[in-house]
Amino acid sequence: MWILPWGYREGWTICTGLTLTGLAMQNFVGEFDVAAMPYPVNVAACAILAVVAVTVHALSRKYVVFRWFSSPQASITALAFVLFMSVIEGLGVATINSWAFTLVFAYLLLVLAAVVMRRLRKPKLKRDAGFVFSHAGLLLALVAASLGSGDLQRLRMTVARDAAEWRAANERNELVELPLAIELKSFDIDEYPPELMLIDNETGETLPRGKPTNVLIEACPTVLSLSDWEIEVVRYLPAAASVMTKDTAFFTEFLSEGATSALFAKARHKTTGVSSEGWVSCGNHVFPYRSLRLSDDESLIMPPRKPKRFASEVRVYSKEGESRESVIEVNRPLKYEGWKIYQLSYDESRGKWSHTSVFELVRDPWLPAVYAGIFMMLVGAIFLFLSSTENQTYNKKNKE
Amino acid sequence: MTDWLLFPYFALPAGLCWFVGAGFAFKTNGFRRAIFFTALGLCLFCVFMVGLWISLERPPMRTMGETRLWYSFFLPAAGLVTYISRRFKWILSFTALLSFVFVCINLFKPEIHDKTLMPALQSPWFAPHVIVYMLAYATLGAATIAAVYLLVGKKKRTTDEETISLCDSLTYVGTAFMTVGMLFGALWAKEAWGHYWSWDPKETWAAATWTAYLIYIHFRKSQPKRRSTAALILVGSFLLLQICWYGVNYLPSARGRSVHVYGQ
Repeated sequence: MWILPWGYREGWTICTGLTLTGLAMQNFVGEFDVAAMPYPVNVAACAILAVVAVTVHALSRKYVVFRWFSSPQASITALAFVLFMSVIEGLGVATINSWAFTLVFAYLLLVLAAVVMRRLRKPKLKRDAGFVFSHAGLLLALVAASLGSGDLQRLRMTVARDAAEWRAANERNELVELPLAIELKSFDIDEYPPELMLIDNETGETLPRGKPTNVLIEACPTVLSLSDWEIEVVRYLPAAASVMTKDTAFFTEFLSEGATSALFAKARHKTTGVSSEGWVSCGNHVFPYRSLRLSDDESLIMPPRKPKRFASEVRVYSKEGESRESVIEVNRPLKYEGWKIYQLSYDESRGKWSHTSVFELVRDPWLPAVYAGIFMMLVGAIFLFLSSTENQTYNKKNKE
Repeated sequence: MTDWLLFPYFALPAGLCWFVGAGFAFKTNGFRRAIFFTALGLCLFCVFMVGLWISLERPPMRTMGETRLWYSFFLPAAGLVTYISRRFKWILSFTALLSFVFVCINLFKPEIHDKTLMPALQSPWFAPHVIVYMLAYATLGAATIAAVYLLVGKKKRTTDEETISLCDSLTYVGTAFMTVGMLFGALWAKEAWGHYWSWDPKETWAAATWTAYLIYIHFRKSQPKRRSTAALILVGSFLLLQICWYGVNYLPSARGRSVHVYGQ
């Protein structure tokens, strides 16, 4: 080992050495904390990486040893270690924030940078374009994503209706004051039609065991089949209130805040012919839920309504006193003052009648660099796709 | 309206077409008929998928059963493209067989076929993300078939060279699709969940799988003569892919922690 030219063995040894060093540091320094690397520490780390990479590249002209860092053997061994550590992470052992992973990852970046610089020494457009797009793109995306996470801010803001909020909680649950404020004008949920399911009376398990089925009530009146039961939905009240009488409860239309949904169903067992009828409701924070007992074993229930879309109508204010109205919904964040504001959640116990909306606010100044890297990788992937046919001729040439 | 009750009436004739097509591939002068029957099967299958999409009023990509549908479709399609471009007569039998295994899982173990789609999944990124990934899985599945063929079959220098070169081509295509699928996922995640990468268990396994295929590509470039080792790397990578695809649903470490586990 260590006799020139280097090969796989040296690669494995370097990576093992880095891993052991990382494990030792873990003992003495503690967990590697990305959040402890905000600007300018991350920029300094980036500069150090660049200086080391350029030095390795410059020395590789003169010394064979340094040329090894841009070899496939170096790439393969580094990739194998990253693969190994992500598998461990995938198995549930936190690895990503460890020193071992950080060192191996930094080493992979160094190898990647050396590879890119070597290829760019005498570039030929046709031969090297795909290579450079995928490798440089990956390098850019990885550097920006890893070092940029020190500057990434993700905050959670809960806003009550008709109130404005300018503070949000970070991951450690500390309140942070923001240069912007959000006023919640209204919060809306569109729901999917109600569903019906069967449950076991004793255990409350959904039936059939293991693979519960449900039916969506899209029309009324309607007849559907659920396991061994034929169910006729006679009436459906999208906004209902339950009314208690002396010995029973029924539902009536109720068009105001706090309404729940209910339907009246008749069920008949397909083989035994046993039948029963009654109201079924999912209930909410105001009205109790109601199930229909079909037999000694089974009951018909309506699970909580599923949201189809939820959105907040807001007015956002900047520190300078400017403001603007907008709608924020899932998959449609709002960009404002360098922040992206996401619809995250709401008061789930109140569901449709939630008076609060929960937003996530994200600021990531390194994002454009990550996106540039991603874009380059996409171009690189197109080249890789096209090269799948060239590779045949490449092999033929090799044979000759 | 098409729903899962009609699945056998489309899937079984489609499967039959694929096997008939695969059979013709072994006959002299069977080239055109092999293509015809495989394509016919694909058309039948496609009609069912389009019908299901329309009747669900959303892309059929949420449940495992629905993604298996795409896999069963893309695998013979990948086999057909390979057959046309490379004329490997055995490839169609393998892709037909593997695809039919997934058809059978859908026939005998139907899962809840729920129409609802949570708000985060209602995105224009959803369809391309899943379709490109399923294409990648299918192509890489075909590459694995070729790798196993190389490992198990008789060792002959000339044919082995051809087989591994097929592995290369399929892996290039598959890895390209996988890269696009992963990056689309990242761009979508930024819009829906606020960050492009969060080491969600599915993402972690996707990264591991992607890295494994990169290792294969780099290994082939540097050690073109070590074909069996390369084939083993390919088979190993495909095992990682299985964990990424559905294995994570059963991993205790991923329970309740992954945005990629839907259904119950």
